[in-house]
This record gives sequence, structure tokens and C-alpha cells, in this order.
Amino acid sequence: MITRLLLRLVSWAVLGYMLLPLVVILGASFTASAFLAFPPQGWTLGWYVQMLSDPSYVASFATSTVLALAATFVAVLLSVPAALAMARYDFPGKGAILAALTSPLVFPHIVLGAALLQFGGYFGLTRSFLALLIGHTIIVSPFVLRSVLSMLTPEQRALEEASSDLGANPWSTFWFVVLPLIRPGIVTGSIFAFISSWINVELSIFNTTPALNTIPVKLFNYVQYTVDPTIAAASGATILVVVVAVIVLDLCIGLDLLSERK
Amino acid sequence: MKRSTAAPLLMLGAALAFFAAFFLAPFAVVIFASLTNHADQSFTLEHYVKVLADQYHWDVIMVTFRIAALTTLVSLLLGYPLAWYLVRVVKWRAWRRACVILLVVPMFTSNIVRSFGWMVLLGRNGLVNQSLMGAGVVDSPVRFLGTELGILIGMVYILLPFIVLAAGNALAQVDPAYEQASDDLGASPRATFFHVLLPLTMPGIISGSIMVFTLAASAYVTPALLSGGRISVLSMLIFQQYSSVFDFNYGGALSVVLLTFTLIMVGLAGRVGNIRGDKR
Repeated sequence: MITRLLLRLVSWAVLGYMLLPLVVILGASFTASAFLAFPPQGWTLGWYVQMLSDPSYVASFATSTVLALAATFVAVLLSVPAALAMARYDFPGKGAILAALTSPLVFPHIVLGAALLQFGGYFGLTRSFLALLIGHTIIVSPFVLRSVLSMLTPEQRALEEASSDLGANPWSTFWFVVLPLIRPGIVTGSIFAFISSWINVELSIFNTTPALNTIPVKLFNYVQYTVDPTIAAASGATILVVVVAVIVLDLCIGLDLLSERK
Repeated sequence: MKRSTAAPLLMLGAALAFFAAFFLAPFAVVIFASLTNHADQSFTLEHYVKVLADQYHWDVIMVTFRIAALTTLVSLLLGYPLAWYLVRVVKWRAWRRACVILLVVPMFTSNIVRSFGWMVLLGRNGLVNQSLMGAGVVDSPVRFLGTELGILIGMVYILLPFIVLAAGNALAQVDPAYEQASDDLGASPRATFFHVLLPLTMPGIISGSIMVFTLAASAYVTPALLSGGRISVLSMLIFQQYSSVFDFNYGGALSVVLLTFTLIMVGLAGRVGNIRGDKR
């Protein structure tokens, strides 16, 4: 009984710890004071208005969003055929290839960013949108690959074979049978991919410029020198985007990740 | 499953080419640079000697891996009970779902935003110091920013959800019948925990821990912001070399050192996964 109570107390404390910094940022972003204050002193939306009327913030939000969408799109184009090949065929070195393609998940991003900067330097491929896109595609592809692979079950194979046995050509089989079956995997993988790109600092930081900046890198550069409620408002805006994305994800696939399995 | 090499190569081709061009090749360049002299491109180990024969670097390596180890340990100590609570204690599904969302939202928030939150909280006049002083625990503000403790608080915050999800997943796989059987056979709850549940969830815990250790050892944003420039970790030295010093050869050697440690940990994770697979 005592253990149970203790367990509850520890768990609630940890949940509070998880909530605290986000509440502080959101709270401080509404403060009516001229400096960052938590608890907020009075309430205003002024800092959000100021942030949104600063073209450099708007441009950074736009860059981040376009970059995340583009990286996710390219990742889907590259990873879906790769996942289908992995699920459908047996070939030498399959395990090694899968391990290699998913290794960016654990590869230190700072090292990858540095490597791409040095490598891109040989071709003039640095500090440009394309340079950012290439790096982001590398780190987000594993999410799409893994979640599509998890949809490619033996049942899915059976349906695919039935379709081609019944005379459908490979394209209509893909379009009418395979794609609808793997769509949830593409959606989930894409959401993970989008978010990982959207919040990345370590990789982007090497290839951003004052004119071409993503929102996390802009915030990172700012926070090191000055701290004012505008930054809290920009940070608050990114939290709100994530909350929306997580709720969409929850409604799509159900985030009830920890239920006991039968 | 069909055995073929032509068709899969065609479908994998684009992904493999992209991966080789923008992951393997850049990394090969880094390894090459770490082993060559900048002036005449001749082979040399001088950069590694510079990294590994210098006390300062060993101090930085020690700090990096000490913070990573402590982050893993504290995350486990806080995360396992929470995972337990979510899987075995919470009966109301909606509440469990809300808690999982509460864990996932920070996970999906940028490191910079989360660390910024802790900068505000842990400052001299931050909420944490105000509460500690208000409660009479301390008389003067505690310095968190620029200390390993501050970095640790921020790192645990960022990596705790990984442990909770890994441990929670492992726990959810364990059939409650095992616990009932252990209980029926007269084992105390403590014995059931240490002899039944802990061993059954160990593979999940270990692979989660190794992932957390790896991410903690290579983290850049959180230590950079919470160190206040007073403490250096390996990733900060690497960033310095590439962004302001422009010594790519020496930076390359630092990267390879960090990566070697990381790969050793990932290798261990794979090992643990294999042991688990063999048992079944």
C-alpha cells in the first residue's frame, strides 16, 4: 500500500517535471511585463503580434515548414520503394542495408552536419536550401522506412499476389492494393519525419545564414545572447504546432502506446 | 519470398545512392581528413595524438560520458516507476493516453525550446530557486546554470520519455499471469519484482538505456545552452572546430572519437537484442 502510494507520488512528480518547462515558456510568452517573467505579470498577446510582425521570424517559420515538407516528401519517394524491396525480396546483405539506412537515427547529428558541411564544400553545396534539404532527408528517411516496413506483413503480401494473379498489372496492383494498405505507415512515418526535421538544430546550424534560417536555429542563436518575451512567444508557437501535430497523430493512429497486450 | 537481385536493386537504388552520396561519402571525407595533414595531405595520426594525449581532452571526454552515464541512470530511476505506473497502476485509459501525450509533446518539441524553459526555471531568480528559498531549503540562490547539475536536469528532461516508452513497452509485453503465479507461490512483491519482472523487462530497459546514453553523449544544444560557456562536452568542441576554428582535420578526429564511443554503445545494444532473440 505504501509502495503504491509512493509510486503514484513519484509518477505525478515526474509528470509535473515533464510539464513544467513547457508551461513556463507558454506562460512567460503571455506576460505583460517588458522582461521575461514567470509567473506572468498580467496577460497580453502582444509578444505574439510582435513576433509575427517581425519578417525574420515569419521567414524562419516558412523556411522550417517548407524544408520539413520537402524533406519528408523526398524521404517518402526514396523510402517507400526501398521498404517494398526489403519486404518482398531476399537478397544478400539485406540486414546490413537496413541497418545502414536506419543508422542516421543514432548517428550524432552534429557529426553528420559537420561532415556534410565539409563534403558539400567541395561542390559549393553549402549554406543553401538544397544543402539543408539533403541533410534533413538523410535524418528523416529512417522514420518513413521503418514505419512502412512495419505495415508490410504476410497478409499484405497475400493480397498483392492475389491482385497480380487476377491479372492486374504491377502499377494497378501498387496503386489499388499496396498503397491503400501501407498508407497508415506512410502517414505515421511522415509525421515523425516532419517533426524531426522541424525541430532540428544540430544539423541545420552548419548550413544556415542570417537570410536562410530555420526557426530552431534562429531561436538557438538568439537565446545565447538575449532573452526576451518575443523568444518565448516564438517558442510558444512551436509548442502549439507540436501539440496540434501530436493530437492529429493520436487521432490517426492512437497514441495509447502502453496498454497491456494480450 | 522471391530470391532475386535485379528487382530489389532497382527499387533500392535511389535510396542507396542517396545514402552513399550524402551519408557514407561525407563521413569518409571526415575520416580521411582526420588521418591526413592539412598542409600536404600526407598520412598522419597527429590529430588523434592531439586529442588523446592531452589532459584537457580527457577531461572533456570524462565530463561528456559522466553526464551521459548520470543522465541514463537518473532517467532510469525516474522513468521505470513512471512506466510501471502507466502500464500497471493506471486503470483509466483516457488518463493513460493523456499521460502518453504529455510524454510525447516534449519529445517532439525542439531541444532549444525545452532547454530555454530550463534556462528560465534554473536562473538565479528562477522559479526553482524561488521555491527552494521560499521553502527554506537554501538561504541564497543555488547556481544551476553553468554546472553539471544544471546540464543533467536539462538532459534527463529531454531523454526521460525514451526510457519511459522503452520500459513501458517491455512491461506491457509481460503477461500479468507471471506475477500472479509468483504471488500465489508465496513470493513477496519485492521478490516478484526482482526475480520475475525485472529480468523479463531487462532487454527493453537495456536497449532503451543504451539509446539514451548514445543520444546524451552526442547532445549539443542542451549542454551548449545550460553550460553557460563554463563546461565543455565533446560535441561543443566539434562544433567549434567546424564553425569558428575551421580545423577540419582536428575536428574530424574529435568526431571519430565521439562516434567510436557511440558505435560501441550501439553495438552493445545490438548484442542485447540478439541475446533476447536467441532465448525465444
